[in-house]
Amino acid sequence: MGMLPEYRPDQGEWLCGRCKIPLEQGKVPVFYLNSAFDVILPRCPQCGFTLVPKSLAQGKMLEVESLLEEK
Amino acid sequence: MLDQDSLRRYEAQCTQDSPPQCRINCPFSLDCRAFLTNMACGKLAAARAILERHLPLPHIMALICDHPCEQACLRRDFGGAIALHHLEFSCLAQTTSAERLLPIPPKRHKMAVVGAGLAALTAAWDLSRKSYPVTLFVDGEISELLLCQFPNLEEARAWLEEDLKVLLRKVCVEQKTVTREALVTLAQDFAGVFLDASTHPALAPAEAAVDASTWHWQDGICVAGWRSLSPTGHTYSLPSRQAGQGREAALTMERVAGKLSLTAERKKRYGNLHTDCTQVERVQRLEPQTTQWGCALYSQEEARQEASRCLQCQCLICVENCPYLQKYKGYPKVYARQIHNNATIVKGLHTANALINGCALCDQCSRLCPEHFSMAELCLAAREEMVARGQMPPSAHEFALEDMEQAQSPGAFLTWPKPKPGASPPHWLFFPGCQLSASRGEQVLALFAWLEQKLSGSDQAGLALCLACCGQPAHWAGQRKLFEEQLARLRDVWQEYGKPTILTACASCLAALREGLPDLPVRSVWELVDSLELSDLPKEARFPLPKTFSVHDPCAARDDKGWQKAIRSLAQKLGYTLIEPKCTAETTSCCGYGGLVWCAQPETANSLVADRIAQLPGDVLASCVMCRDRFVAQDKACWHILDLLLPHLAVAGTQRGPGLAQRRYQRSQLKARILGQTIRPEGEEVALASDLAETLEEQHILLSDIITALEQIEAKTLWCLNKTNNHRVGAWRPRKVTFWVEYSKTEHGFLVHDAWCHRMLVPGAGGEDAETVIAREQSSSS
Ligand SMILES: [Zn+2]
Repeated sequence: MGMLPEYRPDQGEWLCGRCKIPLEQGKVPVFYLNSAFDVILPRCPQCGFTLVPKSLAQGKMLEVESLLEEK
Repeated sequence: MLDQDSLRRYEAQCTQDSPPQCRINCPFSLDCRAFLTNMACGKLAAARAILERHLPLPHIMALICDHPCEQACLRRDFGGAIALHHLEFSCLAQTTSAERLLPIPPKRHKMAVVGAGLAALTAAWDLSRKSYPVTLFVDGEISELLLCQFPNLEEARAWLEEDLKVLLRKVCVEQKTVTREALVTLAQDFAGVFLDASTHPALAPAEAAVDASTWHWQDGICVAGWRSLSPTGHTYSLPSRQAGQGREAALTMERVAGKLSLTAERKKRYGNLHTDCTQVERVQRLEPQTTQWGCALYSQEEARQEASRCLQCQCLICVENCPYLQKYKGYPKVYARQIHNNATIVKGLHTANALINGCALCDQCSRLCPEHFSMAELCLAAREEMVARGQMPPSAHEFALEDMEQAQSPGAFLTWPKPKPGASPPHWLFFPGCQLSASRGEQVLALFAWLEQKLSGSDQAGLALCLACCGQPAHWAGQRKLFEEQLARLRDVWQEYGKPTILTACASCLAALREGLPDLPVRSVWELVDSLELSDLPKEARFPLPKTFSVHDPCAARDDKGWQKAIRSLAQKLGYTLIEPKCTAETTSCCGYGGLVWCAQPETANSLVADRIAQLPGDVLASCVMCRDRFVAQDKACWHILDLLLPHLAVAGTQRGPGLAQRRYQRSQLKARILGQTIRPEGEEVALASDLAETLEEQHILLSDIITALEQIEAKTLWCLNKTNNHRVGAWRPRKVTFWVEYSKTEHGFLVHDAWCHRMLVPGAGGEDAETVIAREQSSSS
């Protein structure tokens, strides 16, 4: 396995709304159309809340979605 | 579905691959188009290579061929046929051969060729090039024998000798007077025998006694090359005919030797290549300044000029008129193959998905195509197949289908007035369609009221209203079952009202109802209005309307003569002048709304609308509100026929139509208004940062999505906080899309700074507990 792709917040310093503690970069499995991959995203170490930055949603994630839709 | 047979049928319909007339009429199938392309740009060596690849004895043929290609040239009526013959001669005269024949091991079957006419020499040429050992039996000098028939070769002896030198490198010559008995012996000793009728008329049978598709006479002996007879009884040698027969006979000899069928799959069959010559301008054939050996010799510049007169015959009539067909750089025949392959892929990428979902299903191509090739039919079938196999990308049409669902939801669906048991049933059921109701509610109501009053007391009295969707989006998305469900619901409504005639104001609804419910009486509301007396329509306009319009027919009404006629008649009666664009009525172009391209491929839809706008001078008159709104969105002034009928309620031709979210709201608004209810405008407590509305529209994020998301995000604390600017960012996943909203709380509610969405499922984003999502997804995928 190579290094997992990692995405950080577009800007700022982030707190979980529920747990009031800072988000940390952590591994999360993501799913689409019978495929799954691991990525590193900002998430709350306590409740698991995970942030998908806008740049990721409109960039790499959209690209991968389209690719999987052609499979 | 698209099996091998139907693929072949589709492929055969598109004639773009068929050879042009010049090539069909050349017995050697010379690729004249490619030859002329090279000549036109001065690539003489490449042009020569084409001649050498196709022509037997190229120098001789270039000198004496009677060029049937020129008789068939479509340029003939526009300044004279391309001077192919002179150009071939000039090409050879100005180049030297660079031909390198690959050494092929000799074949086992020995061939005998008797005679030295053009047919015999062609047969020997062709067979020896395919590495058959050929023996040429002649009774004298070859060049002298040939000169007897073609005395004008005398001047050009150098060329004659050059071809013979090449021929004799590979062919053995034996001096022999061949008799009937000798011919029988040859047939025993050789795998194939050819007899030239022009040099051995006494041995050869009459031409009529030999099968003209093979030139096989008997016992492995082929005969061809007869001299022709003029109407005055004069015999002469026609080079293209004799050499052409020699080539066909050589093919037969190979088949005889290989014990193959002499006739099976001998000639590839082609449809006739259609070429539109209506725009061709006359350019006179160029007469060269010099001649050589009685042949015209073009200078390189002259050759370039003459060759560039070639029309480069091709069809592409559908492609030239459709930006979608241009986008993938091919033509329907190629696309049919790609779509077929897409369906048969098990592993690997379905790269034709975009091709399939990019078609507006408008069917202009089939009306322009002389063979009626329909990309719409092909793409719709492919979509239905993708849906059936579960291979339709969710992102393609889901959003449009949600819009349809909203139009059918209790909030927007309406039948009014409710059918009363016992009362006499209405004569008409007005079905304005979900898009017109969403953007022109006021006009819909005014037209309804005018019609109701106009019809009252007549034998056609009684008008009811149905606000609903016809199901066309489901049809276009390939969701056949869903389409049928929508239609079934409409049939129920129709029956409840006692089977009135349905009046539609949307061409797509009309098309959907006619296709899906063919037994129901349906017509356009415009035809009814046109049949009524119009003098009591309001005259006062809200603002001045133009007097002249370019008329744009909706693509869904391309076959609907009644619709087209009514629009023109109404505009004329109301005092307006209409201009017909090039593609109009049956061949009208799509605005990009058709086939859900606006949803699946907005950029393709935009190129369609831009292309159509360029064809329409001045202000446009549309009779479909989606065409109207799409034109105006591209800054093209456009009016709807309702603006002409009801000028006091006109919407300015430059005013943009409502956005996606607003349409949904206005549908519900119209229903509420009819029922005398009021509905609160949605999202009063939600403010959008400036310029955000348009970005959201492009991403297919509706205000209602944001409102619901905000409610859930706040209620369930599904947000995180950016300490640097105090913005909250939260996610809600109501269906297979996760919506993210970046906002701050204000005194009255929320200020939304940004929003984005994705389809991918990210645990911990969207409401559900992260661990629960991970556990469920991992167990379902393993
Ligand atoms: Zn937390």
